[in-house]
Amino acid sequence: MEPWMRTLVLFLAVAVSGPGAYVAQATDTSGRFDRYGQCAGDRNGDGQVTVDELVAGVNNILEGCGHVPVAIRFAGRVGQEPFQCGTTYSGVGRNGGEFVPSDFRFYVSNVRLLTSDDREVAVLLDQDGVWQLEDVALLDFENKTSPCVNGTVQTNETVRGRVAPGAYNGIRFVLGVPFRRNHGDASVAPPPLSLTSMFWSWQAGYKFLRVDTALDAYHIHLGSTGCYFAQPGVVGGCARPNRAEVILRPFSVEDDVIVADLAALLADSDLNENKEGTPPGCMSDPGDDDCNVLLRNLGVDFASGQPVAGLQKFFRVEPHH
Amino acid sequence: MLGRIRGSAIYIAALSLLHCLAWAAEDLQAQRSYAVELPVGFPKPRIPADNPLSIEKIALGRFLFYDVRLSGNLSQSCASCHQQARAFTDGRPRAVGSTGEIHPRSAMSLTNVAYATALGWANPLLDSLERQALVPMFNERPVELGLSGKEEELVDRLRADLRYQRMFAEAFRGQSDPFTLGNIVKAIASFERTLISGNSAYDRYVQGLDDNALSEEAFFGGRLFFSERLECFHCHGGFNFTASVTHEGNPFDETSFQNNGLYNIDGRGAYPPDNTGLFEITRIPSDMGRFKAPTLRNLSYTAPYMHDGSIATLEEVIDHYAAGGRRIHSGPYAGDGSKNPYKSNFIRGFVITEEEKQQVLAFLQSLDDPEFVTNPRLSDPFQLWGCVSDCNYDFVVTVDELVRAVNIALGESSLAVCLSADPSGDGDPTIEEILQGIHALLAGC
Repeated sequence: MEPWMRTLVLFLAVAVSGPGAYVAQATDTSGRFDRYGQCAGDRNGDGQVTVDELVAGVNNILEGCGHVPVAIRFAGRVGQEPFQCGTTYSGVGRNGGEFVPSDFRFYVSNVRLLTSDDREVAVLLDQDGVWQLEDVALLDFENKTSPCVNGTVQTNETVRGRVAPGAYNGIRFVLGVPFRRNHGDASVAPPPLSLTSMFWSWQAGYKFLRVDTALDAYHIHLGSTGCYFAQPGVVGGCARPNRAEVILRPFSVEDDVIVADLAALLADSDLNENKEGTPPGCMSDPGDDDCNVLLRNLGVDFASGQPVAGLQKFFRVEPHH
Repeated sequence: MLGRIRGSAIYIAALSLLHCLAWAAEDLQAQRSYAVELPVGFPKPRIPADNPLSIEKIALGRFLFYDVRLSGNLSQSCASCHQQARAFTDGRPRAVGSTGEIHPRSAMSLTNVAYATALGWANPLLDSLERQALVPMFNERPVELGLSGKEEELVDRLRADLRYQRMFAEAFRGQSDPFTLGNIVKAIASFERTLISGNSAYDRYVQGLDDNALSEEAFFGGRLFFSERLECFHCHGGFNFTASVTHEGNPFDETSFQNNGLYNIDGRGAYPPDNTGLFEITRIPSDMGRFKAPTLRNLSYTAPYMHDGSIATLEEVIDHYAAGGRRIHSGPYAGDGSKNPYKSNFIRGFVITEEEKQQVLAFLQSLDDPEFVTNPRLSDPFQLWGCVSDCNYDFVVTVDELVRAVNIALGESSLAVCLSADPSGDGDPTIEEILQGIHALLAGC
């Protein structure tokens, strides 16, 4: 393709799409179950080929898929200390209780790097057949050592993919499984959606975040609630999606690590208190007031299940050593 | 498989003869296409397109249903809470899981579950038996079978079993590794779709098979049941005595959840916090206390009653509806359920004489199907029923049945055509087992 052709395509693209068309994100009411890549040019798997996706495709023709590998580091922590199954952490929660974790896993999706002019550039995840599927990745900090008995020996602290070269100074991702993948047939889902400990079959979805404790059995199971069928067998939406939108800036892929801090998540909770008649901790039940402060620290308004910008305290950026 | 059948020349000659007979007697194609035998007047259950029924899947699912290896600590199977003799319930007010955790609700009867539009007491999201099976297997609140995080262990356990090696391969032909979670739930669901009950006294009467099947008392009880005075049939109507049914050819999935006035804790309709019914899923206030009206078939075997087993006898159930709800005088759940604002319009209370009550009871008992709770085809396949090679469990071994056993041994037929041919459970009728079958043929079962 000649350079003038590229100019023409880009011109057409901008003319058709206009500004602000860079976020091509499946919403919670889209009800789509299209398979990733079923449609040629559908890079984000939302069942539509947008002009952005076409432009990206044209860029790939011209630049020979000029995406560069990118590895986004995560770290599981409890305060300043590294997360470890069975370690007794003290001073956790509003009243400074003891905390002995027995699970710590979460899904992230729709990972984007941010340019200084607020453009979001999608990270195309490596389809590794284990931790990453389409635009979903599982971060897993537990290693099945006691008391993390429900877990897996394998751990994963990195999201790997490719991204167009550029100057990035921030990152944005969703904490959770995208709607399009959340309500399919779990019994035949490929990894990392095949882990039964992350199934949430009762709510026809997955646990987005799973934290358990050995002491007092305090659980945090985050997931969509109030889901309903639009037609037989097809979930049309969920009253409370409970997906957090995380924006971290400044963030450097090369130099930084994204810290997921359970002490920060639990900072406003009392590990020894539980609303009567509800499971200990928070299993996203809208009647469970224990969820209020937890979801706030994840950046989600508990009443609506919608993300709220600037609320979250669970994730922070630290320099990587 | 042939390796084991090497024996003396006599055996080989005998087997060869039987083998010839086998080719004459068996139509392999006919074995593979299977339709559920349905009572007269029953529509065909809707079968998912991606899980057609086969005798191989049904047989495999039957083993899995009764196999304690399907619990994390090897203590329970599906059948622990769904016992055939109790019409696939457990006789408890509330079910107890493999780790001893008490479930908020009662184990539901699996009678005619193939027709259910929503599984469980009040979850519209559990719309298929395949999807539902994942809940008892992997749920953690409460723990039921306790398999969460143990999917590899589960598959390894099953893979190590010789009989399962054969049965998975035969149920899921052409798959390089049929030991998958998807196949496990497909097989269990297939077996559950054969839990068809339609041979009650009531059925024989309405099918015209036996005009005297219903006692006079039950007949008049039926009139009361279908009357506008008692209103029972609004929620418990149709061939399955529940409003939540669908079937092949029916484009609609009707699901009915009703509040029947069991509780009213705060005077504003509240149910106990761990049993709020449909509200738990939808969070819509008017869904408080709405549960599925279950089938009324086989009630004599399924006591105690209601979603939480809180009514012990059918007499008390009738009293409950006659009173238009339940008043609890003291304790944490005290309140007048009859004044629950979300109560079904059909539960208004009624006056009923003692004689009429006995008539309604007799009618309800006429829906019992003793054959269903004793049918050997639905029983624990790990226990040998009758004798070796008695494929159809009629306590007679025929030449045809022996031919089947030999065909299984030769690999010409799947094990599903005669589970009794392999009582040792190694997936292969051995020469000893064939001989036992021959003995039963000659000497009687």
